[in-house]
Amino acid sequence: MKGKAIIFFGILLMISAIVIFDLSIRQSNVSASVVTADVADVVPTTMLESEVFSLQDLAYEFKELESIGSEKTLADYYKNRAYDGAPPRIPHPLLNEKGIGGKSCLQCHSNGGYVDRFKAFAPITPHPDFLNCNQCHVPKKTNNLFVASDFKRSAPKHIGSGVLDGSPPPIPHDFQVRGSCLSCHGAPSAAKEIRVNHPERVNCLQCHAPTNNRQITWERKSTEEEGGME
Amino acid sequence: MNEQIEDKDLSRRQFLRMAARASAIATAAVMFPGIVFAEEQERMIEKLGAIDVKWTKTPCRFCGVGCGLKVGISDGKAVAVKGDPNSSVNKGLCCVKGYHSILALYGNDRLTKPLIRKNGKLVESTMEEALDLVASKLRNTIAESGKDSVSIYGSGQWTIPDGYVASKLFKGAIGTNNVEANARLCMASAVTGFLSSFGLDEPMGCYEDIDHADVFVLWGNNMAEMHPVLFSRILDNRLKRSVKIIDLATRTTRTSHAADKSILFNPQTDLAIANAICYEIVKNRWVNTSFVEKHCVLKEGKTNIGYGLEENFQFNDEAKSIDFETYETFLEDYSPEKVAAYSGVSAKDIKYLASLYGNPNNKVMSLWCMGPNQHTRGTWINNLIYNIHLLTGKISTPGNSPFSLTGQPSACGTVREVGTLTHKLPHGVVMNEKDREMAAEIWKVPVENIPSKPTHHTVSMFRALDRGDIRFMWIQVTNPMVTMPHLNRYRNGAKKDDRFIVVSDVYPTPTTDIADVVLPSAMWIEREGMYGNSERRTQHFNQLLQPPGEAMSDTWQLIEVARRLGFKEQFPWDESTHIEEIWKEYSRFHVGKKHGMAPYEVLKSQAGAQWPYVEGKETKWRYHGKYDPACKGDTFDFYGKPDGKAWIWARPYEPAPEIPDSDYPFWLCTGRVLEHWHTGSMTRRVPILHQAVPKSYVELNPEDAKRLDIRNGDQVKLISRRGEIVMDASVDQRGKPVSGHVFVPFFDESYLINELTLDAYCPISKQPDYKKCAVRIEKI
Repeated sequence: MKGKAIIFFGILLMISAIVIFDLSIRQSNVSASVVTADVADVVPTTMLESEVFSLQDLAYEFKELESIGSEKTLADYYKNRAYDGAPPRIPHPLLNEKGIGGKSCLQCHSNGGYVDRFKAFAPITPHPDFLNCNQCHVPKKTNNLFVASDFKRSAPKHIGSGVLDGSPPPIPHDFQVRGSCLSCHGAPSAAKEIRVNHPERVNCLQCHAPTNNRQITWERKSTEEEGGME
Repeated sequence: MNEQIEDKDLSRRQFLRMAARASAIATAAVMFPGIVFAEEQERMIEKLGAIDVKWTKTPCRFCGVGCGLKVGISDGKAVAVKGDPNSSVNKGLCCVKGYHSILALYGNDRLTKPLIRKNGKLVESTMEEALDLVASKLRNTIAESGKDSVSIYGSGQWTIPDGYVASKLFKGAIGTNNVEANARLCMASAVTGFLSSFGLDEPMGCYEDIDHADVFVLWGNNMAEMHPVLFSRILDNRLKRSVKIIDLATRTTRTSHAADKSILFNPQTDLAIANAICYEIVKNRWVNTSFVEKHCVLKEGKTNIGYGLEENFQFNDEAKSIDFETYETFLEDYSPEKVAAYSGVSAKDIKYLASLYGNPNNKVMSLWCMGPNQHTRGTWINNLIYNIHLLTGKISTPGNSPFSLTGQPSACGTVREVGTLTHKLPHGVVMNEKDREMAAEIWKVPVENIPSKPTHHTVSMFRALDRGDIRFMWIQVTNPMVTMPHLNRYRNGAKKDDRFIVVSDVYPTPTTDIADVVLPSAMWIEREGMYGNSERRTQHFNQLLQPPGEAMSDTWQLIEVARRLGFKEQFPWDESTHIEEIWKEYSRFHVGKKHGMAPYEVLKSQAGAQWPYVEGKETKWRYHGKYDPACKGDTFDFYGKPDGKAWIWARPYEPAPEIPDSDYPFWLCTGRVLEHWHTGSMTRRVPILHQAVPKSYVELNPEDAKRLDIRNGDQVKLISRRGEIVMDASVDQRGKPVSGHVFVPFFDESYLINELTLDAYCPISKQPDYKKCAVRIEKI
């Protein structure tokens, strides 16, 4: 009996030694392997349609919060941007000037939530993969201008009107850097006018057709015709 | 704009047809309520998306990354920007400057009329009168004081045609090598680094290296702020395949916080650290021996080479061949332990850095910009970084890339490729007879016109202006009265009585303040042009907007003056096609597999093309037969040097010219912030950018601040041997200098930090060092 047990343990030791040895060889193999895939094609920088389904885990939470959304309006939304589509300004003092992504901004802006200090829901970023937030979003330190600006923004888009009475409105913007529908249209931080009453239906493109994509295809074909101005 | 014109052209017949159709639809809608006709559907959709906006591609106006933008034009105005998803540079992402770049066109004080100084005051004039005056002043100055008394000072923001026409006019037609550009202040050391190590300028790799490399070493480069789009690409790679980022710097910045490891070193000791890395690589037998034997030779140059502070300073380096044993002996002084004693970097960290480069399984990308370039040993530190990559053979293949970044949109395209520097020609250098003959033939000028001797580099040119050797200077797209180091001296020089300064710009600046003639320029997409970015990519943009008032492109200003000087034959182009014709003429200089340029039609149709452009194909990696058609064989071929070999240089550590002492105990480093670009003449006119960083400040180390009883926002006085300035202290905000250091951004014309900086430069590249001088701090 004793002898068998010793043999059994001996075999066990041998097996584990082989397994560990094998594992370590595999590990060292991994670190020595050469990545040959054409990584450039695998790593897109801006998000496109594929991001539509992000945040779907929060969809039912958004549904439950339906009645207590913020009072933010589209006017507030546009006030915080130089033009429709421009990155919004940071409307609050920065907690940390040095921070990058997960260490600062994303603490509040990845999943949202109510911030008592600002009496508002934190907007959820549609592009949490971009970590250098201050690359595009900057705070306001003064109301003064260096020199007045003659820049005129164009009128904001019309919203809410479907082609037929009651039909789902098409999407008036492209998906570049804002492919995650729920972050701007489902979360309680959304502007009232563009917040949907059915955030749980996460396959947004099933009913809402992109319109601007048409424009992109049309553009590519026409680049040759774009002559200079006379 | 186009639509308005079309509206006017709407014929009566078309109008009637449209009216009839509209009324038919209206009638039908009444008869069958609830039915929406296809055409009306279209219109409603168009109303939803702002479809009256026409989107056109252009490279960004600002930095050397050269992001592809789509600019939205509506009713003759630029109204919106998005990243161009078709551009491989940025794949649809921009930074805050790029997204708001169009606002820089619309500052309320745009120069729309030429100004001429009369009785000490700049008064409005006409373009005709101003151009006549510029031409006659040029002619008279040449007649009185000789060809070398006139000069042009341009910029890395010159479009390629601007720089080409300037070089042709001054070097070819007039016959003086007094052609310089502000890229001397930012890229010259990169150029001499490339030339001395490889014989040809500009990086072998490209931005795609970022998607292949495993380790990124940033040499004195706050990429998170200065090249944010590329930095985001690195961060993106880290999220997806865990790469390593090492920030090797003299100050703690956003980049340090994002990096996997931040290593701080004492100013100027990067030279020693690079050599210590090589010491470790040699000692641990990490040298790629077969690569070094086949593809490299070893050289040493002169030492104790000075700092260019003396008037009429001259220096020429001389290369001597050495063997590997001599190189090993040279490295003996740079053991990690010895270097740790004065670099402030522990021997452990130096060994760690060396192991990252030395590990044969790592693909390593080194990135740098102004840290190594604005350096009194700028050429040397560029050489030394190449040494590390050459010793390990990590070069010219995807992900193995020493990559020199640029700061201006066309520092590469215009200043380096067209060659708007005193010694350069579009192909080769003025010292070479064959290069002069080629230029003379293409330019249709006698070859004797092009002088064979370089004259003044930038600092020397402004010293000559001060002395009176130069009496006429035409400054285009740059703001030297903010950016020259030791500014007081050069401003006083430029203001002297018998100096004539012409400034072409888009807004009033401290440089237009000292001008005798101010010419209003058409900016960026208000004219047609091309920029060339850091990765050898040439990018074309159409004219999308009408320039305001009488504003005229810099190219056309130069052509107008050239014609007034009688050079009609050399400048024959028609205004509607001149950019295309200039491109075709300029491309002749670069014909061949080593530098072939993409045809005009290709540049117009796509988001840029990388040279060498050979038989319809771009070259992503140079000097390797697998990727570069100019190589002999299917492996490495450093064809820039006659023997096809890259040079590994033994370059020692030498101290900085002005080191803090008891009178001036702090290092002063100057630089940029993310929101502002260069001297802020454009970005400060963009409300969101100005409001984010409204004025300059001095960053202090929190412990120094405590010791001096200075709190964030307090006013302090900075004093150097050359000048003084009072500004707000910034303590523990965006950046944190090491104790004993201060940092000041230079974008603010109200706080001219360059009155304090030192005009010492690298004797080889002649590029000044804006990163190191000594100052004292006083609390007010």
